[in-house]
Amino acid sequence: MDASQVSQITDMMYALRNPAGLPSYPIIFIGLSVLTFALHILFVQLMLGTSVITLIGAFSQNTYWRRLGAAMLEVAKVSVSVAIVIGVAPLLFVQVVYDPHWYTSNVLSADWVIGFIIFLILGYWAMYYYYFVNNANQDKSATPKARWSMLLSLALMLLVGFIMHSLTSQILHPELWKSWYMQKNGMVDYTGDKLHEWNLWRYAFFISLSIPVAGGMLVTYRRFKSVRSDADHAYLNWAAEVGKKWIKVGSIISTVLYVGWMMTLPETAGNFATSFWGILGGVMVLFYALWAQIRLNGEAKFCSYMALPMALVIGLVVAISREMLRYDILNGFFHYNFWDYKIEFDWYSTGLFFLTFAIVGGIVLSYFLTIAWKAGQTVGVYTPSAFVNRLGTLSIWIVVLWVVQFFVVGFYVWAR
Amino acid sequence: MDLISLYPTWYEPTVGSGWVVAFIATFHVLASHTSVGAALLFAYLSHKAYREDREDLLDFIKKYGLFLLVFTYVAGSITGPGIWYSTTVASPNGIGALIHSFVWKWATEWVFFVIEVVGVYMIVYLVGKVDKRTHMKISVIFGVASLATMLIIVGILSFMMVPGKEAWFQQGGYLNGFYGENTFIQLAMRMAFMFTMTAVVGGIVVAGIKDPAFKKEMARKLGWLGIISTIIGAAMFQLYLKAVPDQALLVMENRLPSYFEPSIIAVLAGTLAYFILTMLRPQVLVQAFAGGMAVVILVAGLWPEETARESMRKPWVAGQYVYSNQVIGRDVPGMGIKSQIPLLEKEGILKAHPFTPKDLRTVNDGNVVQAGKFIAMVYCSNCHSPSKTGIRPLHRYIPDNITEARMEKYVKGVLTTGNIAYMPKMPMLDSEVKALSTFLVMNRKGGEKAVDAAIRQEIEARQQAKLAEKAKNKIAALTQENN
Ligand code: HEC
Ligand code: HEM
Repeated sequence: MDASQVSQITDMMYALRNPAGLPSYPIIFIGLSVLTFALHILFVQLMLGTSVITLIGAFSQNTYWRRLGAAMLEVAKVSVSVAIVIGVAPLLFVQVVYDPHWYTSNVLSADWVIGFIIFLILGYWAMYYYYFVNNANQDKSATPKARWSMLLSLALMLLVGFIMHSLTSQILHPELWKSWYMQKNGMVDYTGDKLHEWNLWRYAFFISLSIPVAGGMLVTYRRFKSVRSDADHAYLNWAAEVGKKWIKVGSIISTVLYVGWMMTLPETAGNFATSFWGILGGVMVLFYALWAQIRLNGEAKFCSYMALPMALVIGLVVAISREMLRYDILNGFFHYNFWDYKIEFDWYSTGLFFLTFAIVGGIVLSYFLTIAWKAGQTVGVYTPSAFVNRLGTLSIWIVVLWVVQFFVVGFYVWAR
Repeated sequence: MDLISLYPTWYEPTVGSGWVVAFIATFHVLASHTSVGAALLFAYLSHKAYREDREDLLDFIKKYGLFLLVFTYVAGSITGPGIWYSTTVASPNGIGALIHSFVWKWATEWVFFVIEVVGVYMIVYLVGKVDKRTHMKISVIFGVASLATMLIIVGILSFMMVPGKEAWFQQGGYLNGFYGENTFIQLAMRMAFMFTMTAVVGGIVVAGIKDPAFKKEMARKLGWLGIISTIIGAAMFQLYLKAVPDQALLVMENRLPSYFEPSIIAVLAGTLAYFILTMLRPQVLVQAFAGGMAVVILVAGLWPEETARESMRKPWVAGQYVYSNQVIGRDVPGMGIKSQIPLLEKEGILKAHPFTPKDLRTVNDGNVVQAGKFIAMVYCSNCHSPSKTGIRPLHRYIPDNITEARMEKYVKGVLTTGNIAYMPKMPMLDSEVKALSTFLVMNRKGGEKAVDAAIRQEIEARQQAKLAEKAKNKIAALTQENN
């Protein structure tokens, strides 16, 4: 590409920006998008990894695997919901600063974007179908029925993930957008029926992290359940051993795939692969194996609980690397700089979000998670302490107050 | 050379992108309103279970909660982003306008979504594992959070129709865009209909109650809830019609199908009759019947409502400044937004569109049909499908004995000037008028087949010409060398 071609592409991207501008500094959106992407992908990996464990359980004769499979299905089900709901946040933020790229990529593969929704619903329902068919059976060591539906669910989820991956990859190739809009025979292609770009190393890397993440889940599972008075320690210890192995082996596999990804970056990425962030991403993944080797020995009372938070921190570093790659290509090569997005500052809505996030989100979720945590560790009925009860009452008041402020501010503005 | 913010066009030939969006939206409203309704109902039941110390009610929640909450919730939470995705591909600048003005509002809604997701699983899974008081608290939080998500989205939806206050155009600002007469009326209407849905969906739950006395009590309560909320909702709908922009009303009056009003009245009457029936004879409430009725009532009520909203907004898609065909058709000084019409008048649509293929940037004898089709895709296809089926198919609006000359006169005199209220102003250079007209006439007379055949010929001819040109240059170069 010569300079004039690049500058045409730069012009095109700037022209596509939304003229309404942003209500806050662009870096805030980038930051939130990286953070929420890290959470999204963690739950995606948790969902995929626990689905695999469910399937191993379903096809194995071993009673421990059977039990583990049934237990991990519960995690998988909740994780899909959480992955989806958390996915909404990066979806929102990416189209705020990278709207030219996100929208072009989506429109050019529109059929797949619609397919994404349908495949996801079907995949989710398939998982629930498997659950409903087998849930009634108290004997968790019996051979589960309808195993095909769990297989189907996993396959559909992988397809959904591939669509996400492809949409994200297309963002990185503005030089090809116009050619994707044409068919080979010279007709304009309005169908949106193709995915145009992907990198199997990158896709496999993100998916493969499901192995160490599921390993982290198993380690946490043992620790969490072992405090119950009805705990079966032999089984739980076995599960944790599987988990440690998965963390170590999985992290090594992921590191290899990461290196493959870095070696197949497009030319427009320059020397990102050998840059600080390019290297750090891979090193952090490998570090997970090392950490598990050193810290997860014996009881590991504290570190067992750290297995998933560690995965999140590592995921966050990878998410930063991933964002830096995007920045290096789009800004470094194509001179599209998100920093110079026009700003129409809006204090009220910016403030309302951060307050809601911190106060409403913080208090209510602390209450919810405390209850869920304690109830999971209690045999029989859990009755919260006076403090937790007060937290509950506070939570109710907070959400009600939020609704009240909605109307108070609204009526004031309306009447003004 | 200046470009404007236009993306490639996605075109779905069978039903049209507009219907894809409408379908997903209807499904989403169905699922999400049902789940909000179910949330409130469960909050009520859980509260009652706590006050009266009733185990059976909690068992009941566990049994039906999983099915109802999770299924409607799953479908709701996927089709929610689904609406984003589908509008993204059908109308990127429409969704872009909303996102850029309301990103924080959506982010705020997201906080409530997260609370909902965690809450829904707790309500179902913790029955019998936590004390009743705690269960009640969780249910109440879940119910209020669900309500909050609706409050937020309605403000954004009403901005699509019209910004909250006229002052928004001059001053900008999120509050001016979000809150206004339209917002509150729509809110009242949606809340009323949400309670109607609660009552309808509650029927499925109540159908499962074994104790006849309790079943009767619940059927009564839901019946009254349904009747009152339906009547309030219908009244609000009348008010709502008064609060939409005049031109939307004009479109409504002229353009909605004649069966619209009678069918709305029929749905209302049917709904009321259904509630009265279930109150008088709770034993008819069996699950299959209640479930079937829920779908019928909700779909019959929702589909017309969603399509009316789509029609009434015309020619705008968002905020009365972004046209359905993605062009910004009005200055918004408050946000520093400039109308793109003047530029289009000067340069024409082909030059201003960033994705116009190289060969189509200026109209000439070798690309008239292809350029014409491109213009139709950009300017018209959001509202008119160029195929035989789909949304307002183009060919239907053009007389079959049309001549090129008359078509050109119409396009230039009516469409480029914006003389019809429900269509955008669509500026074109004279050469573009000619190209579009050629396409429209050919599409009218020979359909898509004829058009595509003609385009293939054009492309072939262009390639021949390019090869010839190359050969000529080569010869020229050779002769030069020889000299
Ligand atoms: C904002 C949406 C929108 C766009 C964009 C649009 N139209 Fe229309 N058009 C309408 C509506 C709504 C009607 C009335 C439909 C009906 O009568 O059922 C209409 C009616 C028409 C009619 C019949 C006119 C009449 O007098 O009733 C013609 C012809 C027409 N459109 C052509 C076009 C062409 C050509 C384009 C593209 C250059 C275009 N329209 C773009 C919405 C649109
Ligand atoms: C449950 C099934 C899902 C799976 C398996 C999945 C998987 C993935 C994967 C693998 C990526 C990384 C792509 C890459 O960088 O190469 C990704 C990114 C992303 N996902 Fe998902 N996802 C799922 C659901 C969703 C949903 C429902 C949403 C939206 C609500 C969503 C929103 C996103 C976003 C916004 C990104 C980042 C896009 C970017 O930054 O460019 N995902 N997802």
